[in-house]
Amino acid sequence: MEGKVIVITSGKGGVGKTTATAAIGAALALEGKQVAVVDMDIGLRNLDVVMGLENRIVFTIVDAVKGKCKVKQAAIKDRRIENLHLIPASQSDNKDVLNPEDMVQFCKELRKEFDFVLLDCPAGIERGFENSVAPADEAVLICTPEISSVRDADRVIGLLHARSITPKLIVNRIVPEMVASGDMLSHEDVVEVLSIELLGLVPMDTQVIISTNTGVPLVLQKDSEAGLAFRRIAMRLNGQINLPIEIPQALKSFWKRVGQKIGIGK
Amino acid sequence: MFQGWLKKLMDKGDSKDVAKKRLQFALIYDKLEVSDDILIRLHQDIVDVISRYFEIDKETLKIDIRKSEGKSALVVNTPILSAKRPHPV
Repeated sequence: MEGKVIVITSGKGGVGKTTATAAIGAALALEGKQVAVVDMDIGLRNLDVVMGLENRIVFTIVDAVKGKCKVKQAAIKDRRIENLHLIPASQSDNKDVLNPEDMVQFCKELRKEFDFVLLDCPAGIERGFENSVAPADEAVLICTPEISSVRDADRVIGLLHARSITPKLIVNRIVPEMVASGDMLSHEDVVEVLSIELLGLVPMDTQVIISTNTGVPLVLQKDSEAGLAFRRIAMRLNGQINLPIEIPQALKSFWKRVGQKIGIGK
Repeated sequence: MFQGWLKKLMDKGDSKDVAKKRLQFALIYDKLEVSDDILIRLHQDIVDVISRYFEIDKETLKIDIRKSEGKSALVVNTPILSAKRPHPV
């Protein structure tokens, strides 16, 4: 069976696309699937550092697309998580070295090798976006509960609809305490404004920064709330569509909160 | 929770409601390219007209733009609480 190509996109930058791509990719691989995550941000690559694979890059997506190396050579195998592969972006090229037709062709090859191909789309709606969306079967849209992010997400939904793709939404960096006090848009608000199907909810989690610092995959950190949320998202993408969507909850006990403030407990 | 209670005591509205309103207007504005001012006046006029015939919850009335096949549709959505009795002539 041919693999699925899923683009992870947002419009706005800095909302967690790369973190989400790395975490979902790793989680799908833990589910036993053959996974390739592809950094589409030519010239500003980052997925490699988030995944802790930056010092193993030999070939890049540009080399693979242009036929300078085989797909297998450009795909770096993760040593901690079996079945997980990264195809890095090149840092010296410009986004225009690739075009949407190249990408459609390239993803045809990737589909033969992998069950899931996750494309980490660059911010913006220019060439990098076009290149990432052209070969995609499905789209996952990431936004945070902020006006700027939701507005850009709405624009991207329109652009994806024009290509007959209906994206599914992940609301990232939810702060349950702020939602409870009425100072943050709830996921219901976001879903209502965007009229879109929800794929998952991810709480704000300091473990994300720690994971990026160390290059250790978020989903391998057992006490990471965000990591758990991404694992559930991956299970849903992998066909468990009836898995309920967990809503991030505020810490209940006062002492737990104090504990977190002063850095004891988790 | 305590913060929410304190805020209610100080009679300050939720900032997320402000965010949601601004967001909804921004999205309509992006699609129609009409000014915020016109939208707010349109919103008020629609509320006034419907209120002549029905009891509505003015806070929940929603204006939305749906785009399909290159045409924009203005969709007004409001829960109707009750019909107003016609005034005796």
